[in-house]
Amino acid sequence: MQQMLYILIGLPPLFAALAITKCLSNNMLHWFNRVTVLIIAGTFARMTMLLQPNRIFTDGTFYLDALSMWFLFIVVTLYFVAGLLSKVYLDKEATRGYLERKATFIGKYYALFTMFVWTMFLVLLTQNLGLMWVCIEATTLVSALLVSFKHTRSALEAAWKYIMVCSVGICLALLGTIILYYAQLTVLGAVKPLDWVWLKQNAALLNPNLLEMSFLFILIGYGTKIGLAPMHTWLPDAYSQAPSLISGLLSGALCACAIYVLMRNMVIIVPAVGIAFILNLLYVFAFLTVAVAVPFAIVQRDIKRLLAYSSMENIGIMIIGLAIFTNNAVSAVLLHLFNHAMIKFALFFLAGTIIQEYQTSNMMRIHGMMRETPYTATFTLLGMFAILGMPPFGIFFSKFTIIMEIFKSGQYLLGSLFVLLLAGVLMGVVYHFLRMLSCAPKRKALGELLNFSSMAILLIMLVSTIAISTCLERFPYLQLLLSSATKIVIGGTVL
Amino acid sequence: MEQLLIFLLLIVFLQTRIMNLKNAIICLMLQSTIIAGACLMVGMDGNGGWHSFLPTILTVIFKVWVIPYALFTVVKKLTNEQEIDSGINVNYSTAAAAFFVVLAYMLIDKMLPGMGSRDILASAMVLIMTGLTLIVMRSRAIMQIIGLITVENGIYLFGMAITEGLPIIIELGIFLDVLIAVVILVILTKRLSLSFMTTDTNVLSKLKG
Repeated sequence: MQQMLYILIGLPPLFAALAITKCLSNNMLHWFNRVTVLIIAGTFARMTMLLQPNRIFTDGTFYLDALSMWFLFIVVTLYFVAGLLSKVYLDKEATRGYLERKATFIGKYYALFTMFVWTMFLVLLTQNLGLMWVCIEATTLVSALLVSFKHTRSALEAAWKYIMVCSVGICLALLGTIILYYAQLTVLGAVKPLDWVWLKQNAALLNPNLLEMSFLFILIGYGTKIGLAPMHTWLPDAYSQAPSLISGLLSGALCACAIYVLMRNMVIIVPAVGIAFILNLLYVFAFLTVAVAVPFAIVQRDIKRLLAYSSMENIGIMIIGLAIFTNNAVSAVLLHLFNHAMIKFALFFLAGTIIQEYQTSNMMRIHGMMRETPYTATFTLLGMFAILGMPPFGIFFSKFTIIMEIFKSGQYLLGSLFVLLLAGVLMGVVYHFLRMLSCAPKRKALGELLNFSSMAILLIMLVSTIAISTCLERFPYLQLLLSSATKIVIGGTVL
Repeated sequence: MEQLLIFLLLIVFLQTRIMNLKNAIICLMLQSTIIAGACLMVGMDGNGGWHSFLPTILTVIFKVWVIPYALFTVVKKLTNEQEIDSGINVNYSTAAAAFFVVLAYMLIDKMLPGMGSRDILASAMVLIMTGLTLIVMRSRAIMQIIGLITVENGIYLFGMAITEGLPIIIELGIFLDVLIAVVILVILTKRLSLSFMTTDTNVLSKLKG
């Protein structure tokens, strides 16, 4: 197990260092990237064999249990797919996108991309809540460089807002973590500072007043990183300006990592504070996030911003699922994280392809994709159905379970309002996507740019959400992983 | 300790009034020096051996030397850069800082009653809140960076006062993060002045809705 962890921690920086030194040709870089991705995916597969889902692994610094394995599963899968799609994407950008005349930037891209994923691995592997904070801040810093990667004025603007808003938010999370440490110091002394396992064992002893204050700051801090309204202002800018594959990672993986850290902190805080205080806060933030997304999704003109607001909708769904805090709801949230990551990544990749085909991200200038670029259009249509939660795609099942749990918990008014808001986002997305797909073509597209291998990968991603959501019992490992992870969040004892 | 805190508050008030970028950086240096002094005093009270002095050393190296140096190198390259001087804005900021002093004491008394280090905690809160207003009210990129470091300094002082020092590894991580954040912000500021011909963040208004 230890060796596997060393590979996971050691290999990405090695490749990043190699990529940034510019000693490899672009072709070699693509191959090295694929090899790295394959080794990491293989290492993760081996880790799943070594670690039973209901067991834990710890050596004091690194810590792995079902919860971190589930998130690692999401991040590694996205990294794997992004790594395989990188060449297609970068080649197209290099011929007629922002990388034209900037061929040396590919090394820089790979270095930043790999380091970005590496910081997310660190978030998921560390045992210490303080170090988790450090790693989350590190993800902000690396991804800020990726957001500004296009070197345009808007990219610069997005990066500046991203780093300013997120750094301030994350600073507040540090304040919350410090207060948590103080609560630990007063009761448990200075042994094992901020160690998650140690804190979890003694969670009930901690001072509830201090923990309440600590949770306020932690929620606002990591909430900024998740993209909860009203701290979401950076989110549409960053998602729309980052390179498309990175937008997919920001939406699918980074947001998941922030939710992961929030969950870890909740496990510590719930036993002493009680659940009611936390739930009300989460309800308010989740509701606000979806409510803010509705008007912006309806009047949107930029395709990637539309996807960003759809991400906010899904973030709202996940946080409200977390707020219900029943076994079914939390397990649906974890499943939704996976489904949303896969489908949103596919959609961002498709959006990138559409932008390359039409040389614009303005949806008002894109018409008749069905006739001009039939394959891209078909996949966009499938992706649209998937993200809106139509059966048989995975999001349908997770979203439906969460909404059902709202009603089951007796919050009829809240549930109905929530469904209404979701319908608003649905209206916006359906209107814009169908208008792009149908109508008569007005501007000539550059032609069909989606090649066969990317289509196969996208199809596998969409089908994987169906497979995992509908026949989970066919994958005993994942099923056990999901139920153990749910138990960890709810506060059962998978130790 | 009281004398240090009085100086700290004085500098915070100065910061709300300074419009010249170079003076603002010098002010930040002074602020970080005082934080280092406070760390030293907390370190001498504790008996953790050499590692209780680590925060002082790190603060001096990173926040008194490296970060202001990096900021100075940018400011030197900018010409004719000064925060737009509007008397009302400045007076409001100072009044806000004064209000924050009262608010901070009220908050600390309510949230953490009976703490021995009440004055330090209140000053830390003032730093955090003033830093936030600097980020919101000032439009020059450098001024916003200074605001961010002020917030960070405040949180650090707060942490020192209530926990007598975080674990070494976390402390190192925090300093590394702050350092990298400043480096990246400095790079972005340079790019701002290259592509917009100014570091006024009010020009960043293209992305909306």
